[in-house]
Amino acid sequence: MSGPERVIEARHLVRAYDDGARGQLTVLDDASLEVNAGEFVAIVGRSGSGKSTLLHVLGGLDTGYRGQVTVAGLRLDGLDDAALSRFRNETVGFVFQSFHLLSGVSALENVLLPARFSARRVGGLEGQARQALERVGLAAHAARSPGRLSGGERQRVAIARALFSSPRVLLCDEPTGNLDTATADEVVALFKALNQQGLTIVAVTHEDRLRAAASRVLTLTGGKLS
Amino acid sequence: MSGALWPLVKLSLARDRRTAVSSAFGLAVGVAALVFFVSLGLGVGRIVREKIFPVDTSLVEVVPAQLSFGLLGGGALDEATVARLEALPGVERAFKKMNVRAPAVTIYRGDFFGRPLHMGLEILAVGVEPDFVKGDVMLGEFVDPGPDKPIPAIASTRLLEIYNKSFAPQRSLPQLSAQLLAGFIFPIDFNRSFVTSTPPNASAIPAQGQLVGVSDRGLLAGITIPLETAKRLNAAANLDAKTFTALSLKAVDPSQVPAIVAAVKGMGLRVDDQDRRMAENAGAAVAISTSSLALLSVLICLLAAFNIAHAFSASVRAREKELGVMRAVGASRAQLFRLVLAEALLLGLVGGVVGTTLAVLGGAGLDAAAARLLPEFPFKPETWFERPAWLLAFGVLLGVAAAAAGAFLPARRASRTDPVRVLAG
Repeated sequence: MSGPERVIEARHLVRAYDDGARGQLTVLDDASLEVNAGEFVAIVGRSGSGKSTLLHVLGGLDTGYRGQVTVAGLRLDGLDDAALSRFRNETVGFVFQSFHLLSGVSALENVLLPARFSARRVGGLEGQARQALERVGLAAHAARSPGRLSGGERQRVAIARALFSSPRVLLCDEPTGNLDTATADEVVALFKALNQQGLTIVAVTHEDRLRAAASRVLTLTGGKLS
Repeated sequence: MSGALWPLVKLSLARDRRTAVSSAFGLAVGVAALVFFVSLGLGVGRIVREKIFPVDTSLVEVVPAQLSFGLLGGGALDEATVARLEALPGVERAFKKMNVRAPAVTIYRGDFFGRPLHMGLEILAVGVEPDFVKGDVMLGEFVDPGPDKPIPAIASTRLLEIYNKSFAPQRSLPQLSAQLLAGFIFPIDFNRSFVTSTPPNASAIPAQGQLVGVSDRGLLAGITIPLETAKRLNAAANLDAKTFTALSLKAVDPSQVPAIVAAVKGMGLRVDDQDRRMAENAGAAVAISTSSLALLSVLICLLAAFNIAHAFSASVRAREKELGVMRAVGASRAQLFRLVLAEALLLGLVGGVVGTTLAVLGGAGLDAAAARLLPEFPFKPETWFERPAWLLAFGVLLGVAAAAAGAFLPARRASRTDPVRVLAG
């Protein structure tokens, strides 16, 4: 009998930065991680402990590490820029603390952003984007620009953008960090709902409410996960 | 570039309209200046080439040497020399020319196309072979009619232009065309001159000339008549009717001309290239002026390219986070490079099309102003401009190329955006 599908498998990750006169700063030091399909994993740790770095490595944004990373069966280490970009476009979705929406364009156009870089030619892109907005409860706000949305609504647009390509994993970097308590609760509830629908989520956070919502909590200390 | 990026290109330009408009405007000014000046240069060059100095580039005008070298060659252009010249490699045909060596005058008293005219003119006449001007003969055959019949005569196109634009307006005479002139008969007295003494015992030979056409190959200050007529008139005046005054060698194609000229000079003969040199000098003056102005225009385009480089560098810096997000959602480095470059190309295309259109409209306006404000003068053209399709296409392409050159480094910078750095926090 086979176990649950392994979506993320990271082994012996080492990531160090040049820290000027102080030499090398090692933020990941032989860190390993396994995440199964449908899990909601929260990674906690002190500021500067390397949580975001780990997320960037798992999402194929950071390539300056040593070790092995496999996501949805794809070995990331050694992939060229085009392949990594395709991986980010099709397999993972990012949600950032600062939302990072394009200003001056509609919520719908923001959700459609991944489609602009996709090699896949599927019809009904706009319908797909509207569905993503519907999943986050913002179907009625499709035409609004980010400037006319509240902080919580902006984050939900960012989540819809991350969901647009139907990713295998949602990678969230302090997704409630810029939200007030009530709004953060709404976003956490949204993550829980998405997870219950089968979406695998890995969230870096220092907030208790997100930690409480996760099915597993890992702590990053001294470059190692425990 | 895939079509999926176009919405982003349009969105980016729409969000920063001021930069887009100023970048496209700079390009449009440069392209407009270049297309305007080059089309003006081409137009003026065409006027010089086709109207003021209409030189047939495949013709070599051979004249006798001023000194004879006996056995070494040179001297008169007789039939034997003509045969040798006609046999030169690259020569398709030799057209013989003989001046009427007797002086001649015309004294006209009578109706001149509806106006009374009293005029006396010294006349020069050159005889040419009929084939030399056959394309321009509008009336009858261009052959010697024999004594007592009107001599077919061809006038110069340039002379007609000078008459129409300078002489006729000043003397209230009618404007003439080749069609009107065809058939006009005028008296000629050979062996008579207003300016030189005629040989002793020479009596005037009265004759009539009849204009049968107008030609670029016609003698500028005189009339062009059949060669056999010139021979007959010279014989009648007891003057040389055997050697030719000049010979026009028609080359198989213009590229053969230098070799023919060298061979002619090697035979001790001279090449009369005065017209050609004047045409070349005038053409060179036009080309130098045009090149200077075109260079200035290219400098404007370069400035526009620098402006685009500056504007796009600032834009890429300002959009760092946006570009980082694009990387995060799946944009490759190559796609970001193409995205920024495509924004510039679109501006370049707009600048190129607008600039080219402005140049065409400006030229048309100048033509209209020149037609209305400038007085009539010889060789005044209907248009001062020539706009071949390649020039218009070049204008548009220049806009695109300048924009692409300006945006290259900013596009490369955009493609190197590090998402980890710009999305931190």
